[in-house]
Amino acid sequence: MSFVRRNAWTLGLVALMVVLLGVTRLIQPNFGVSGLESLARAALPFAFATAAMAVVVIVGGIDLSVASMMAVCSVTAAVLMQTMGGVPAILITLAVGTLMGLINGVLIVLTRVPDIVVTLAMLFVWEGTALLILNSPGGIAAPFLREAIAGSVLIHGLPKALILMAIIVAVIWVPLKRSKLGLAIYATGSDENAAFRSGVAVGRTKAAAYAVCGLFSAFGGLSLLALTGIGEPVPGPYLLAAVAAVVLGGAVLGGGIGGLLGPIIAVFILRIIRTILTLAAVDPNVTTIVEGTIMVGVVMFGAFLMMRGRSPS
Amino acid sequence: MNRRLMMGAAAAALSVAMAPAAIAQDGGYTIGVSNTVQGNGWREEMICAMRAQALVEPDVTGLVVAHRNTDSAGQLEDLNNLIEAGVDAIVLNPSNPDALNSALEAAMAAGIVVVAVDAGVTAEGAYILSNNQEEYAYLGARWLFEQLGGQGDVVYMRGIAGVSADTDRDNGFKRALAEFPGIEIVHEVFTGWQQDQGKQQMFDFLATGIPFDGVWTSGIDNVIVDAFIESGAPLVPIVGADNAGFVGQLNSVEGLEGAAVTNPGSVGGAGIALAVDILNGEAPDDNTVLVDPVLWENVTEEGRATLEAAQNPNLDPEWPVSVTIPGWTDYTMEQIIACEGPGEG
Repeated sequence: MSFVRRNAWTLGLVALMVVLLGVTRLIQPNFGVSGLESLARAALPFAFATAAMAVVVIVGGIDLSVASMMAVCSVTAAVLMQTMGGVPAILITLAVGTLMGLINGVLIVLTRVPDIVVTLAMLFVWEGTALLILNSPGGIAAPFLREAIAGSVLIHGLPKALILMAIIVAVIWVPLKRSKLGLAIYATGSDENAAFRSGVAVGRTKAAAYAVCGLFSAFGGLSLLALTGIGEPVPGPYLLAAVAAVVLGGAVLGGGIGGLLGPIIAVFILRIIRTILTLAAVDPNVTTIVEGTIMVGVVMFGAFLMMRGRSPS
Repeated sequence: MNRRLMMGAAAAALSVAMAPAAIAQDGGYTIGVSNTVQGNGWREEMICAMRAQALVEPDVTGLVVAHRNTDSAGQLEDLNNLIEAGVDAIVLNPSNPDALNSALEAAMAAGIVVVAVDAGVTAEGAYILSNNQEEYAYLGARWLFEQLGGQGDVVYMRGIAGVSADTDRDNGFKRALAEFPGIEIVHEVFTGWQQDQGKQQMFDFLATGIPFDGVWTSGIDNVIVDAFIESGAPLVPIVGADNAGFVGQLNSVEGLEGAAVTNPGSVGGAGIALAVDILNGEAPDDNTVLVDPVLWENVTEEGRATLEAAQNPNLDPEWPVSVTIPGWTDYTMEQIIACEGPGEG
């Protein structure tokens, strides 16, 4: 019972996802394995962008430069793969992403300028950097990178893209969350002053969280490259989608509450809604209104349940 | 526990309420459309041309339109969704020639006809029907440089950095520039193909007082003329596209010398027509069909007559005036303005 209570929000999201998959099947009876695979692939860049955003939201910040960092990483990897093997190119790209995140974090900590201002400025800086690296779409992706997210693994219908994403996020997040740094991240996000007085190195914790955000953004950029096979210097629509998924996923803007599982499930929910709207041939000018309405509806409904749950009955 | 149930029930109600009936399939063709720029006059004309042409094609019974602002990864998602929707053909305006191949190949493997309009794709077996973008920029730039007598300073107002149409046009522009060594670019900006942004950029540059002799625009044109008029600056020769607003200005604004290069958004309608031909077993011999632009200027008697004939007061000022393509599109002017397709929810 306490497991259910603690994970009520996430379980609710899972239920919502299952219902939406059912609706998809209802509209398009042929929706099956290939549909699930393309859904998992489409969710990949959004999932990493959301993971990146979730970490900094938990520490009490926000990073508006996530999509721009993804663009930098995607073009960096695409250019590097023209001259070197895929593995070193990936490692360098991950390092570049982490470094960009670290620069964001250090700037915030040292200058004491609010996160939203610093990362807004860095959005433009990284956007320009991506165009300097590659002024028009180009470069190449290593073939193994493209194959890594195509098709199913183990059993038919278990998309490789989903498993890959789950492994990467788990390998980074699970040990981190259980480490001293993880505890410090949650503490700083809950109450910075209290954390500081309890001996948490607040500045270092924040900078580290932004570096992790940069690392996840790098995976996001690599997933864009894996999807399209080229590096695109113009950032995609990942920033606001990531903020939306983080909020829908149960993290609180302001910090200290939430995890990565909820937001990533929220990513899938938002992708399925998009699929449903396309399958149902809804007027494209109406679809974004529907997406936004569902999002605010679910969050409001969830908040209502939480409030009721908390008040004595 | 209760809470979870309630949440699930509410979610179910929500999603059932918003899911309309499935796409009707009465034996005719269903065509999927994918586009990644929304709210731009040219692209909106393209979408309306697609809808109008699908409406007049007797064999087409349904149209599924995925039309939003997104990147290549988002277009991949839309294309995969169209495949899942079971369409017979996909007509798309590709965001990039190479990035979409995985979905396009999957579509063709499933027997879906793929037609790219406006720009090319490299997927083997896909048909391409497009305006020649390099030629578009070359024609306009050459006219402008000749108009200036091969000597002078030019403002170069591009589209969106990193987008292939902009890159192709840049190649054409640079090709013309190489032929005229006396021409200098004093100012180069990206308008993002946004009217307000382009106008503001022109205001800003006029305010600097740096002299210049001509303006080349990548289709953000009528607001540039407006900027000159509103700030009282003397007009210089301006090159734009065949947008209704700009063509009107070329006809009516006193002292404006300029040229419009055609870049019909109605290639979208031609793309639908081509897709239906292929579905009916009448594929063209070559996979690539290029529509070459023409230039309409207002400095000769002949040019003015062409410009006047092209004008239509009912068109949106941001739409290209070349709303039909003879030999390809079959709809009427009223049908493209109505912008309604078959079987759309």
